[in-house]
Amino acid sequence: MDTSVAARSGWDDFRRAFLSNRLAVIGAVVMSLFILMAIFAPVLAPYDPINDQDLTSNFAGPSAQHWLGQDELGRDILSRIMYGARVSLTAGLAAVAFATTFGTLVGVTAGYAGRWIDAILMRLMDMLLAFPSILLAIVVVTILGQGLTNAMLAVGIVLLPQIARVVRSAVISVRERDYVEAERALGASHTRIVTSAILPNSLAPLIVQSTLALATAILDIAALSFLGLGAQAPTPEWGAMLTDAFRSGFGVFIEGQHAILFPGIAIALCVLSVNFIGDGLRDALDPRRK
Amino acid sequence: MQNFRGEREKGASVLAQARGIRGLSRRDFLKLGGTGIAGAAMLGVAGCGGGDTIGGQGGGEGGESIFTWGRGADTVGLDPINVTDGESLIVTRQIFDGLLDFEPGTTDVVAALATAVPEPEEDGLVYTFELREGVTFHDGEPFNAEAVVFNFDRWREEDNEFHVGGGSQTSSFSYYTSQFGGFDDESIIESVEAVDELTVRFNLTSPLGPFLRNIAMSPFGIASPAALEEDAEGFWQNPVGTGPFQFDSWDRGNEVRVTAYEDWWGTDLGEGEGGAGPFVDRIVFRSIPDNAARVAALAGGQLTAADGLTPDDVPTIEEDEALQVITRPPLNIGYLAFNTEKEPFDQLEVRQAITRAINMERIVESFFGDTAEVASNAMPPTVPFFREETEPYPYDPDEARSLLEEAGLGDGFSAQLWYMPIPRPYMPNARGVAQAMQNDLEEVGINVELVTREWGTYLDETGRGEHDMCILGWTGDNGDPDNFLNVLLSSRGATETDAQNVAYYQNPELDEILDNAAETIDEDERRELYAEAQQIIYEDAPWAPIEYAEPPLGFQANVSGYEPSPTGGEGFNSVQLDQEGA
Repeated sequence: MDTSVAARSGWDDFRRAFLSNRLAVIGAVVMSLFILMAIFAPVLAPYDPINDQDLTSNFAGPSAQHWLGQDELGRDILSRIMYGARVSLTAGLAAVAFATTFGTLVGVTAGYAGRWIDAILMRLMDMLLAFPSILLAIVVVTILGQGLTNAMLAVGIVLLPQIARVVRSAVISVRERDYVEAERALGASHTRIVTSAILPNSLAPLIVQSTLALATAILDIAALSFLGLGAQAPTPEWGAMLTDAFRSGFGVFIEGQHAILFPGIAIALCVLSVNFIGDGLRDALDPRRK
Repeated sequence: MQNFRGEREKGASVLAQARGIRGLSRRDFLKLGGTGIAGAAMLGVAGCGGGDTIGGQGGGEGGESIFTWGRGADTVGLDPINVTDGESLIVTRQIFDGLLDFEPGTTDVVAALATAVPEPEEDGLVYTFELREGVTFHDGEPFNAEAVVFNFDRWREEDNEFHVGGGSQTSSFSYYTSQFGGFDDESIIESVEAVDELTVRFNLTSPLGPFLRNIAMSPFGIASPAALEEDAEGFWQNPVGTGPFQFDSWDRGNEVRVTAYEDWWGTDLGEGEGGAGPFVDRIVFRSIPDNAARVAALAGGQLTAADGLTPDDVPTIEEDEALQVITRPPLNIGYLAFNTEKEPFDQLEVRQAITRAINMERIVESFFGDTAEVASNAMPPTVPFFREETEPYPYDPDEARSLLEEAGLGDGFSAQLWYMPIPRPYMPNARGVAQAMQNDLEEVGINVELVTREWGTYLDETGRGEHDMCILGWTGDNGDPDNFLNVLLSSRGATETDAQNVAYYQNPELDEILDNAAETIDEDERRELYAEAQQIIYEDAPWAPIEYAEPPLGFQANVSGYEPSPTGGEGFNSVQLDQEGA
């Protein structure tokens, strides 16, 4: 008699809500393809992304041998995009992991401790939020020095305050709930209250925010590389591929549009699908839907 | 034919598009740049917009004619003796005059602040310069013999209170050292004396073949003693000379502005003597590091002229009726220098192996097209006493492998290869060249890591020898072999900081030959000595020479009177903007 009720668990609700969102499903499919491409790049890529140069056919258009054409050094653009997926995705994930870890730490501390600790931490986060994200990232990279690792770190720092803010408000909303009071009444330590009662119940907004942050991270890292501050030659990073083609001269607009177009499409598709997933997650996890 | 026509039309339409999007804001660019598709095309136009009303065709505020010069990098400093880079000297060249100058378009010496080119006296130990009358500095102070003595004393005497300046990236008077042997007792110029108000006498410790050419170089522009006495440390940001243009403002990293100096002494002189003008009211030297962005800005009318075109851009610009291309006579070399003080580059076999492993001919053809030739010697063929018999190093990976074997490095090794972050006249795309070299070296088992730095830092760190190998180049200052070989490859240039000899190549035998060649005024003797020097350099392989380039410059069609100098440092006084149809 009770089984039908048990089957309508939270997970089930979530899955149904997510799958009914067509864009989110498309996003998830495209993203899975990118992830597969990144993992199996060495198997799938027809050429070496760095060393298979052919200077005599630079900017050659798409052909049977090179489906997406060749870049300014005659390298295969398809192979570079495949390897680029590795660089962009791992860099994006690393930045988000950084932001999530430290953002959660800041958010929980501020939300749980309250009073002056909250005030100080949140004013610090406000200061970071006051700068446009790409500008702040540029400043951080300028201080740390250019390179992919520092670009990841910079983007992580840029994303941190948003996560901290979301986590803090979630923590505040559950802080006074009965189950937290119960733990407290049982004499649990602060650490235990946070890890067993507060964090699990603040998870939904964190997941949504982190997913959306991944989209921003991928875009910002590509932008930094495009500006020459992130991945350096000859790393096949999407943003760097754009700038590489671009720097070889104005002629690229006439004979090598594909060298700009395809990495651009890769960035756009990837960012778009992560955004769709994020939106789908947000709708599915929204308590008001239930 | 059909195909060609198609290309043409496509080219024209892209340029037309570039014109259409000049009003884009920076925020738009960031949005688009991030998405990456259309944004790329607009970067340049947006990147240099900044709400300025300067028109490339020369229209400006209140009918003022403005010449906007787009280039790959900003100026490092404006104290001419304390810089070495072309982007600084092209600006100081407009603000300062030397005693002598180069005839426009050549490396022949003509008079400037002196009334005539002096003849050597006492077998080249004494030179006497008669100075022009009635010349004033931009601060109103008179130019005279005392001013000349003041400047030479400042440069030569290390304990002179004004032997300072240039800012944090100062070259520390390195041009004086490289052209005149050193400071104080090492200086070939023993003393400079004011004979009377308008006569200066130079006393030399030994004859110096390129003496007059050296004096004509831009770093030896005469600065206002009054301005130096007031603030020698800050002079690099506030230069005062006698040139056709006076300093106006400098927005670091972006642009330098100079305005016409109405009382310039050269106005009544003929153009062939380096005179005439200044015809434009203002020059803006604007830095746009990105090649494509710079050309887009030229096509879009934000620039009057663009330096550092890539060879691929030349046909595009030539086909546009609103634009023209002028090429600079070649007087430069691009090279890959090996840091001979570091292992394993201290071994001759390793250096030779690398020279054979790189397919220089293919690299030059694909990155320079018709605008360069593969280099064989350490100086270009336009310089007198060039050794014709030297052939470029052969491309031979097998020989490279066996040379590495001989050096005990049969399993290969790892090394850093540094490349310039920005386009230079002698190399518009160092990043591409570096990647191609990396590819070739990989073939013979040398694992190359590519490294680059911001331009000022790049010069600074390669000048300290922090690289294993680095790509650099040199545009000659005075057309003398001494200006290539002595500056770039003698022990004198291998200083601890600010080294010009970034190979740190030190060969006493070569030093002696170069010294002898510089100290004689006999042509045949110089020819023989320089041939020997080039042979030694070829065998010791401190560099893999890359190419001699003929750098193309792009202009609006209404520009006339622009005479590119082989030295890269032409005066802009003779430039005119035809207002018709602008």
